[in-house]
Amino acid sequence: MSVQVYIPTPFRRATNNKDRVSVDAQNVKSLLDELEKHFDGLRGLVRNERGEVHDHVNIYVNNEGIEALQGLETALKDGDEVSIIPALAGGTGERRQGGHRPLPN
Amino acid sequence: MIFTPEELAQIRAQAEAQYPAECCGVLLVRAGAQADRVLLPCRNIQAELHAKDPERHPRDSRTAYFIDPKDLLAIGRREGQGYGVAVIYHSHIDAGAYFSATDKRNALINGEPAYPEAVYVVLSVVGGKVVDARAFVWDGTTRDFVTAEAAHP
Repeated sequence: MSVQVYIPTPFRRATNNKDRVSVDAQNVKSLLDELEKHFDGLRGLVRNERGEVHDHVNIYVNNEGIEALQGLETALKDGDEVSIIPALAGGTGERRQGGHRPLPN
Repeated sequence: MIFTPEELAQIRAQAEAQYPAECCGVLLVRAGAQADRVLLPCRNIQAELHAKDPERHPRDSRTAYFIDPKDLLAIGRREGQGYGVAVIYHSHIDAGAYFSATDKRNALINGEPAYPEAVYVVLSVVGGKVVDARAFVWDGTTRDFVTAEAAHP
């Protein structure tokens, strides 16, 4: 069965700049296996060496995060759309005062 | 121009309304004869992550932001429509508008910038008021984030 995979900007360097890929897979795990087989650069970007999805990566089947489904075992059906999206995060971290200046515009 | 005056006013209002939590969001731009811009204020779910698992997420929303995955999906969908992530912004609470080590660490994936073309804007919100903002970009020469004006051409 064919599933459409959306590849966001941060991962496209590993997919020859392809933003959409069609993959035949029964579940999310086999989909990732297939993707890594075709795009070696994806290895380590989405999953760690134990095969677990990195904390900073979110995988959705249609509009649902796989953590709310069956994780990597989430079954896929023809026409499903899978998105693999890295987190956007940050913050103050260590405290340091900065000077004041006009806002950029 | 990073933001239009209207966008900047909206971001300033968001940053002040969400104080003392860090705010966050992105500006998406679709190139064309007339650039199409979409400002997407996002939800910071850091407080929820911290409440759920303080060991794994030791900081709360006062010192960190984590964009709601639902917003990430919305960003992804916009990218699929031809938009690109032009600006990623967030605020620092009662601290300066600097690009922190945490910001840098989270902006990199395996040592490479996740969004090498994007401008990162950090707002300083002190006592509930935006007092400063600075823009940072990836500099491929120094392989670091630098203030926008210090970037190598």
